[in-house]
Amino acid sequence: MTTPTDEKTTSFSGHQLEETTRRPRRIWGRPGLVTAYAQDMAFFDTRAKLVAVCALVAIAALMPLQLEDDILKLLATGFVLAIGAIGLNLVTGYAGQVSLGHAFFVGVGAVTAAVLNGDPDGRRLGYGITFLPAWMLGAGLVAAVCGAIVAPLATRLRGLYLAIVTLGLVFIGQYIFAEWREGTGGRGVGRDAAVPTLGDVDLTVNGAYTEEQKLYWLMLVILVIFAVLARNLVRSKVGRAFAAVRDRDIAAGVMGVQLGRYKLLAFTISSFYAGVCGSLLYAADGHFSPDEFNLGMSVLFIAMILIGGAGTISGSIMGAMLLALLPRIASELPGFFPFISDRSTEHPNIFEVETALYGVLIIAFLLFEPRGLYGIWHRIRTYWKSFPFSY
Amino acid sequence: MTTLTTTATTTLVTRVRDRATATPNAVAMRHKRLGVWQEITWATYWDRIQTVGHALLALGIEPGDRVGVQSENRPEWLILDLATVAARGVTVGLYPTNPEAEVRYLLTHSGARIHLAEDQEQLDKALAAADDCPELERIVYLESRGIKGRYDDPRLLFWEDLVRIGAEHRAAHPDLLDTRVAAAEPDDIVTLVYTSGTTGPPKGAMLSVGNVEFAAETLMSGEGAVSPPASESDLVLSYLPLCHVAERFFTTWFSAFGGVQVNFAESIDTVPQNLHEVQPTLFFAVPRIWEKLLAAVRIKADSASWLKRRWARFWLARADRLGATLVATGGRHTASSRLVYAVGWLLFYRALKDRLGLREVRHATCGAAPIAPEVLTFFMGIGVPMHELYGMTENTAIATRNVDGRIKVGTVGEPYDGIELRIDEESGEILTRHGAVFAGYWRDPEATARTVDPDGWLHTGDVGEWVDGTHVRITDRLKDIIITAGGKNVAPSEIENALKASPYIKEAVVVGDGRKYLTGLIGIELDTVGEWAQQRHISYTTYRDLSERPEVLELVDGIVREVNERFSSVEQLKQFRMLPKELDHEDGELTATQKVKRSAISKTFGDLISSMYGGAA
Repeated sequence: MTTPTDEKTTSFSGHQLEETTRRPRRIWGRPGLVTAYAQDMAFFDTRAKLVAVCALVAIAALMPLQLEDDILKLLATGFVLAIGAIGLNLVTGYAGQVSLGHAFFVGVGAVTAAVLNGDPDGRRLGYGITFLPAWMLGAGLVAAVCGAIVAPLATRLRGLYLAIVTLGLVFIGQYIFAEWREGTGGRGVGRDAAVPTLGDVDLTVNGAYTEEQKLYWLMLVILVIFAVLARNLVRSKVGRAFAAVRDRDIAAGVMGVQLGRYKLLAFTISSFYAGVCGSLLYAADGHFSPDEFNLGMSVLFIAMILIGGAGTISGSIMGAMLLALLPRIASELPGFFPFISDRSTEHPNIFEVETALYGVLIIAFLLFEPRGLYGIWHRIRTYWKSFPFSY
Repeated sequence: MTTLTTTATTTLVTRVRDRATATPNAVAMRHKRLGVWQEITWATYWDRIQTVGHALLALGIEPGDRVGVQSENRPEWLILDLATVAARGVTVGLYPTNPEAEVRYLLTHSGARIHLAEDQEQLDKALAAADDCPELERIVYLESRGIKGRYDDPRLLFWEDLVRIGAEHRAAHPDLLDTRVAAAEPDDIVTLVYTSGTTGPPKGAMLSVGNVEFAAETLMSGEGAVSPPASESDLVLSYLPLCHVAERFFTTWFSAFGGVQVNFAESIDTVPQNLHEVQPTLFFAVPRIWEKLLAAVRIKADSASWLKRRWARFWLARADRLGATLVATGGRHTASSRLVYAVGWLLFYRALKDRLGLREVRHATCGAAPIAPEVLTFFMGIGVPMHELYGMTENTAIATRNVDGRIKVGTVGEPYDGIELRIDEESGEILTRHGAVFAGYWRDPEATARTVDPDGWLHTGDVGEWVDGTHVRITDRLKDIIITAGGKNVAPSEIENALKASPYIKEAVVVGDGRKYLTGLIGIELDTVGEWAQQRHISYTTYRDLSERPEVLELVDGIVREVNERFSSVEQLKQFRMLPKELDHEDGELTATQKVKRSAISKTFGDLISSMYGGAA
């Protein structure tokens, strides 16, 4: 009497019933009543989140009018480091591919930006491109290409082996940076970094606002843009594929995630972020030396995402800010603990304390809060979300 | 169209049709699929009803033919129900938990011509019974998993195919269904609601168009079941079996008459979570659900971290006082209690109610079985406006309800305006007479004659008494009253409910008919007692093992002693035994509505009972 229907239409409720022109809306006072997938995956899934983030950004934007220039400089550096940390978190925290080679990509970005922006008539190689987005994105792209070249290694290796291979990358990079004097100025000498200018305004020269204020705002804007992009990436199909690869790559492959493709993508995007970070990192100092892109810097980025929280964008920013402010925190300590000296000739001094603190932070977080600063925040939030019960 | 609405009888179907015309894009219902609440508008709902109604016509459903449904609550349940009414058929609901033997009985007895089985599980029961049901022609299934390609019974019909048949029929005869709808009469039977059958086989109560109209109009009137009446801005969660008259009211009929937005729970196990998501404004639950909610609050508050635990205890103690005040005032706050509640709402009750999913509830209702007053008081104290009501299948759930401001805890409230209710002086039985008294039992005129007397009074079978001349208090079921060997009449359900108010006790069955003294069979609540045992490092393996731990016996003994103190000495339990297993519908100890079948209990646990009276074990 009837023709059998196609197997695909078995879940009847899925098809004709929802044939409606009505656009799903949120129902007031019921955040759990999700009527569309888009609501579930929204950038700001609750109103409170939207308000809090807007307030936070507004406060950050107003800070230069209140704070001293030396703190602003630290904060601006923190913002740039945060871009790099987000990049590392994408590949390590989200896609689960351990990378010790992040410093290499930061170096590639710094050198590329300096070369693109450098004076064509100067001693070093330079193309005289002053348009900021051009050299910044150029630096990111060159780093991304390097990342894409390295990525195939990651499709064959996992865990510790991948870490060692990316470590090798740092050593190769250091050799090239040291020897390519034309581009980098060579070991111990270095060259001028790219100079951020907007239109005719050189941001590194004091004007109506100081250099630190202007750089702070620039870095803040760029960080917000890159953080939003990263957050959008991780809540998309790509982000879910990354997480699947991280949690169990074989299972992800079985589910139809193309491992090679997504590992390549993770490395490329991560390197792009590192390149952008490198291009801006020395804007305040105006000068960099190729020796800086060493294992220590890679470890610094790893520490940032571990302390901030692996697999979170906001955690990357928190971790980067904390480590960027660490020297300042250490230098404030003598005020509270008189036995700590601020002179390097006496012991214990603030520089020793800073180094020790760095180590202690990493150990303490790994032991007590493996999910980092984000984990602490998460705990606080859960405490109130589960109120008046505990679960 | 306009001529149809003015001349024809208003039925559920015409009400849905009119609503779909007036507000086509408003939300009629939501059901959760793949984690997202999918919305169904009134226009879609009505369109679907028409198509499925045409399909029923195409399959030859004539006025008065029965259509069975055995499914969890979902949109298709309502669609088929309304489509059946549109075709002037009779919907017969089956509990999804009905085992095969009961399915066989219900399908045979009702003589359903078309039966909807939700999935493979239900289909297997229906197919096993089908050969004994000569009238059964078609079995429709909703979920094809495990069925398609494996079953080749010619009677099977996939829902999608049913819809296709309907669409073809609708295209060929666009007016046929409208004609059928317009021909509806007040005496048309719309549904058979089978009683749960605590004593014998279930009986199918016939409810007519007129019954439902009268009942709905009474419930929706100014001081009806819910005040102010249910409207489009109300949300309900549909989770109790739709074949029961109470849930049918709160889902299908509230939706058709009041336009409330129906949200279907994913399953009975996900109710707490769905409740939290939906935050309904009207909430109906049976005592068992309220007891579980109460137990959940106690357990979660006790196992919270130190500060939260102290905080919760402090505010729950305030809630007890608030509840006592509200009980004394009939549900109205005094100035001081309002102040305490306002502060508590800010600091505790709001969050607590949000976690329970009762934050937005403006009218909470309890019915279908007796409930302990302590449970009602607790929820009133935390700010859930609780109302106990009373009704039964045979009077389309219309008898009494508590009204805001005149609540008397421990009573089932006052009779509705415009109905007749009296209590027989001799037997104490409650009698009702009004437009919603059912049309009789299906194929059982003898039972009908026993239930409705020639004057039109419905004998409810419940014994009650007047409280202050306005409110009705139910003592017990007439046939459950225990007469001890000493000749004392005892209502077991009062004692049982007092015991069940403890979070540790799930089942309590009082025995003692014709005996010297009362005894009890007690079943523990596995979750709470398990938690209790864990905190005391008492290890156990099974339900039975836990029940028989000396520490648990001591715990239960304490509760029994405490309850005994509240009753006179003839009403005290002299002995009790633990039930060695959880009572179950499948094993015939409970009805589909989780009511205890006393005869089955005394048969199954006869040795336990006789051991309490000194007999050989």
